[in-house]
Amino acid sequence: MKMQKNVVTLAALMTFAASASVVQADNGLEGYPEKTLNYIVAFGPGGGNNLMSRTLVDIINQYDLYPGQDIVVENRAGGSGAIGFGHVSRQEGNPYFATSTSGNFISTPLISSTDWDYSDFTPIGLLASDAMFLVVSTDSDYQTVDDFVEAATSGRILVGGTGAAGPSRVVASLFAEEAGIEFEYLPAGTGGEMVTALTSGSVHAIVANPSEVSGQMEAGNFRALAYSDQERSSVYPDIPTFSELGYDFTFSLPRGVVMPANLPDGVQAWWVDALQQAVETPEWNAYLETNSLSGNYIWGDEFGSYLESTSDVYEGILREIGAIN
Amino acid sequence: MLADMIANLGFGLSVAITPTNLLFLMIGAFVGMIVGLFPGFGPAAGIAVLIPMTFGLEPTTAIIMLAGIYYGSMYGGTITSILINTPGESATVASTLDGYPLAQKGRAGPALVMQAIASFVGGTIGVILICALAPTLAGFAASFGPSEYFLIIFFGLLLLTTMMGENKLNGIVSALLGFVIAMVGVDVMSGVQRFTFGSSELIGGIYFVPVAIGLFGIGELLYCVYIGQHKKEVKRVKLSFTSSDFWPDKKDYTESKYTVLRGSIIGFIAGVLPGSGATIGSILGYSIEKKIAKDPEKFGKGEMRGLVAPEAANNAASSGAMVPLLSLGIPGSGATAVLLGAFMMWGLQPGPMLIINDPGFVWGLIASMYLGNMVLILLSIAAIPLFVKFLDIPYVMVLPIVVLLCVIGTYTLHFSMVETWMLLVAGLLGFCMKLYGYSPAATVLALVLGSMAEENLLQSLIISGGSPSIFFERPISLLLSLIVITVIVLPVVLRMIFGKRYEKKAL
Repeated sequence: MKMQKNVVTLAALMTFAASASVVQADNGLEGYPEKTLNYIVAFGPGGGNNLMSRTLVDIINQYDLYPGQDIVVENRAGGSGAIGFGHVSRQEGNPYFATSTSGNFISTPLISSTDWDYSDFTPIGLLASDAMFLVVSTDSDYQTVDDFVEAATSGRILVGGTGAAGPSRVVASLFAEEAGIEFEYLPAGTGGEMVTALTSGSVHAIVANPSEVSGQMEAGNFRALAYSDQERSSVYPDIPTFSELGYDFTFSLPRGVVMPANLPDGVQAWWVDALQQAVETPEWNAYLETNSLSGNYIWGDEFGSYLESTSDVYEGILREIGAIN
Repeated sequence: MLADMIANLGFGLSVAITPTNLLFLMIGAFVGMIVGLFPGFGPAAGIAVLIPMTFGLEPTTAIIMLAGIYYGSMYGGTITSILINTPGESATVASTLDGYPLAQKGRAGPALVMQAIASFVGGTIGVILICALAPTLAGFAASFGPSEYFLIIFFGLLLLTTMMGENKLNGIVSALLGFVIAMVGVDVMSGVQRFTFGSSELIGGIYFVPVAIGLFGIGELLYCVYIGQHKKEVKRVKLSFTSSDFWPDKKDYTESKYTVLRGSIIGFIAGVLPGSGATIGSILGYSIEKKIAKDPEKFGKGEMRGLVAPEAANNAASSGAMVPLLSLGIPGSGATAVLLGAFMMWGLQPGPMLIINDPGFVWGLIASMYLGNMVLILLSIAAIPLFVKFLDIPYVMVLPIVVLLCVIGTYTLHFSMVETWMLLVAGLLGFCMKLYGYSPAATVLALVLGSMAEENLLQSLIISGGSPSIFFERPISLLLSLIVITVIVLPVVLRMIFGKRYEKKAL
């Protein structure tokens, strides 16, 4: 069994090694990579960003997508990502630094005075998106989003989410605006607190990350009414998106890879190609499935424009709720 | 129910008792003790650092080992609390109150043996209660909303006053300092930054670990230098299993027999409630023990019950915290949050379905905790002479080593130089607090509880639309409110009835 696995790995390894060398020739990137890559995780071990970064680096190593050199993963946590992302942004022109984006990559520069924002990086690719569910208890009267909207027009409704200015708040605000309703938003400190706010009957609904509620949904305690991504989640195909229900907005957090700005020619294309191979692996798909993420990939400069529009939407909401001036 | 419990535990044992699982259980327990021993290097950091080493193991084996680090550190953490008055983490702060005075009185041996026994009993009772109550308690924890949490935390803050020592005013000032530090960072409710002075390092707030290590570890060292302890002749502490003063005497056992039971049950309940955990458990254990004692004046001066109560409580709480983790996927502390991350890393989806989808994993883990506690009591008693050797090392050598460990421990938390500076500033502050009779324990615990109290109070008031009626309308809230009111009003009423005589006794 083990032997067989090794053979398969070896075969895969050879295939990818071959394709990687083709890429080098295509881009005229003679000799890249010739040094160790520093993969910076802007958060501590244990969180979602760390998990994604380490999974990705493991896949890159396993399939030899960064041939001949090592990758060192380093956690540089602090200031909600400000420290780690700032460190990478200051490596301008250095093709041996990379980092993973997550919600804070967009929000931290908006709410605090960092010396960087999304535009100070070279976008490589969006590898997963982290959208939000609108969730109610199974014993709740609201069967559909329309039921919920109707209740909100006639009475006082409380919606919980994580953080005062986090992605939960953004989705809740966009939804309220589109549906023309008002509700009170209850910010919880952590995903666990938010879940107990719903189980204890303190709020009528929550806006939650799928991974925070998937256990409760599977147990039949929670029911998701809608999903905030552009398309339905590949893990939860039965749950409609807000836009197909007639509430015309989408919002998801970019889980992608960026590198410092002003890289030598061809490095961006080299990495787009390498990561396109990485997301095709069964390991990456298993990661998406376990963490209830959807894999709608966006590459290169297109990912850059995606980051820009996400940041604009975010900034608008933060202004609206008074978190920034 | 009893039959179910035995069947579940038996099934768990059949999973846990394989040579590989037992080996990694022992490694985890041993590493946990060492992790607990280093000031500042708490279970959360220990588990996080060792996660990469478990790649390649079976998920159940890996989690058994990581859980071993988690509850093993509760045993190790107290050793530094007793020997050098430096709790490695907030859950062992309460153990310094009587543990360190015991060591100063030359009773380090009995203190270490009794803490190992208390930890074992606490941990074991905790595991038995998990088996018996896991399904029921999961429902109980799920019905706790912000108003219930606020009242529980408020109760914890009230009990803080019992551990402030002689000067209550200084104690209150110390606690207020903790609240001030807790205010720094982004306000969870409004998203507005408070006291960050535009620094991105402070957005996430001031983490309590550097503050705690500074106030206790560095502060204590500076104070010892100030009083000239480094110049004193080292008095050799001779401890061996055969010497008569190594083992606790009969009085220690008989006096603390019910203490250990009370501590375990209080700790377990605190552990089950997410967000309170081992820290509140150990404070509650200590405070309640002091409250009901006939001789509360002995506490804080080297009273064995004052060590046994928080030790039984924090170990029972570390078991209790596994209940919301395993049944709801809700971590109650930093360490269980890292464990939760590890579950997900192995594709185990935490939540109500975990026990149904992966019963082998859940019951195997619970059974391994039972075995782990047995390993740990043997390990910790057998290694006591080794730990006591710490006291034989001349102070001039201990000092730089402990400073080094504190600095390394703090830096490796987040690789942050700012936090390392915070440690040193907190160290100077801790020295001054000790010099002028303030209470570093009150500061650290107020720092931990203050932000939780604020958040839950504001959430409760948002839910109720600003009306305090929320604390009386929900049944569990009503019960908790009545307890809080009783605790505040009862001493006043008693004093009015019995006059000064009661007041004297209560203090």
